[in-house]
Amino acid sequence: MANGAEKLNKDNARSFFGGYLLMLAVPCFAAYWFYGVRSLLVIAASVAAAVATDALAGLVINRKIDISDLSSVFTGAAIALMMPSSVPYYVAVFASVFAVAVVKVPFGGSMKAPFVPAAAGFAFASVCFKEQVFAFVEGSEGKLFGSTSLGSMLMNGRAVYVGAASIFDILGGNVAGPMGTGCALLMVACAVYLLITRPKALVSSVSFIAACVLMVYFFPRVVASFKTNLVPELCSGSLLFAAVFLVTDPSTQPHKTVNKIVYGAVCGVICMAMRHMGAYEETVCFAVLLTNALRPIFDSVINNMPKISKKAFRKVKADKEVLANE
Amino acid sequence: MSNNVSFKEIFKRGAVLYNPVLVQLVGLCPVIAASTTFLQAAMLSATMCVELVAISVLASLFFRNLPRWIRMSLYLLTGLAIVCPVLYYLETYSLAEISLGMKIYLPLTAINSVVAVHCEQVAVKSDMKLAFYDALASGIGISAIFLITGAVREILGRATFAGVAVNIPVTLKGMTLPFGCLILLGFLAAGLKAVSAKMSPVDFETEEEAKAEEVFESEEAVSEIEEKAKEDFGFLGSSDADLGDFLKSLGIDLPEEEGGEQ
Repeated sequence: MANGAEKLNKDNARSFFGGYLLMLAVPCFAAYWFYGVRSLLVIAASVAAAVATDALAGLVINRKIDISDLSSVFTGAAIALMMPSSVPYYVAVFASVFAVAVVKVPFGGSMKAPFVPAAAGFAFASVCFKEQVFAFVEGSEGKLFGSTSLGSMLMNGRAVYVGAASIFDILGGNVAGPMGTGCALLMVACAVYLLITRPKALVSSVSFIAACVLMVYFFPRVVASFKTNLVPELCSGSLLFAAVFLVTDPSTQPHKTVNKIVYGAVCGVICMAMRHMGAYEETVCFAVLLTNALRPIFDSVINNMPKISKKAFRKVKADKEVLANE
Repeated sequence: MSNNVSFKEIFKRGAVLYNPVLVQLVGLCPVIAASTTFLQAAMLSATMCVELVAISVLASLFFRNLPRWIRMSLYLLTGLAIVCPVLYYLETYSLAEISLGMKIYLPLTAINSVVAVHCEQVAVKSDMKLAFYDALASGIGISAIFLITGAVREILGRATFAGVAVNIPVTLKGMTLPFGCLILLGFLAAGLKAVSAKMSPVDFETEEEAKAEEVFESEEAVSEIEEKAKEDFGFLGSSDADLGDFLKSLGIDLPEEEGGEQ
């Protein structure tokens, strides 16, 4: 790549991840507010691991990797925020190291990675440290259902508990869950900021949420009304966080609007399908990764559709002309 | 392949430069699915290695004049003759854990892509010595990958090595799953490529060489167009500039030379 293009790429990455880090400050504050200093320590450990891995990988492959693009900081912070505050430090560290060393660096950096590094890191932690990643014990004493998260209640089909939960408690994050993603209102605030700064990026998020809503309507997990199902489904786990921070990742998100809509919708359908059939309480990161893998296929299908329709239109027109001549 | 090549050269090519698993991507399934522990990997790699060498030698000695469809059947029968005693041994000596761990992959090694590829590409076209060397080199290459993946996956995923506990603070369960092995193989392939490029730079072109080749090919294409234009249209221009103008009039744009205007 030419130096100019590289510089542009770097500047784009820095401005993009700088903006996202500004947004991440809000859930970081929420994590501190709900779970205390330990949450900040987990975030710091995760960020430090991601940045150190990035720098070390640059030395190992003998290639200059600029850590000032802030992508590693974003990846580390995002991974930590999707975990409970009680998570051991090494879990967050391993997840960040995996995200940077396996998903980001080998593909040439944050703007070229075919998968969202933060989603990959969290998925890796979910598989390797399932017990620690889904244990919401610490800091949940004053919460609505104690250490029982919304995700586990929905997974076990506990209609009574889900129905009894106040919407304001759920939206305000007064239920056990990941330290930075539990408060839905803050996620909405982040989405508003994104709407002002990068409105086009939100197209995927909107279609993602819409697909999730439709899936909840047609395939509810709890035998209760649509409203009783909808709010906990959207607010459980990291769904809204992923809609704002992961689905809108610039390197994996398609450029065309139609493709963005399909990308978000596919991600939403996969996410909700995995919540129904998967073994994990939180599936949004797996859904994001699967959609990243499927993206080239539906991109090529969508991009070829106008050609197919134009071809078909021309054929019909030619047939009509032949018939008219006859 | 020439029959006068030394074993060292064959080993270098068969086991390292063109490693069956990491470079040719042959036999990935057993590596990913069955090499979750060192013992399983050792058992599977030993069986595959012995089988590959035996079938290659037999193919070189006796099967080369037979029709291809008969040869394939004979590979299968010979493979079964080697694998059946191994299966019998595993069942007799109650090595159920290893046997179950290898799932269907041990019986399936009776005929696998590695054997088919090496017998058909090398063994039936070479003398016995060369076929033996090639099979041995490939077998060692495959075995090395099996053993490395088996050892790494067992240590990181279960904190044991060959069944003996290893004192590591954290285990990564994901390493025992197929995705862990695929990631490991990816890093091994990258490492092998880096080693191979140093070991035999002739076989690996650098980025600059690849770019230079692209430029050369584009220049060749341009000169071909010019020649064709001269032949087809009888162009008799005296200079390259005239020829360029003529080609432009035909809608063919020539790439501008770098720094030409400076």
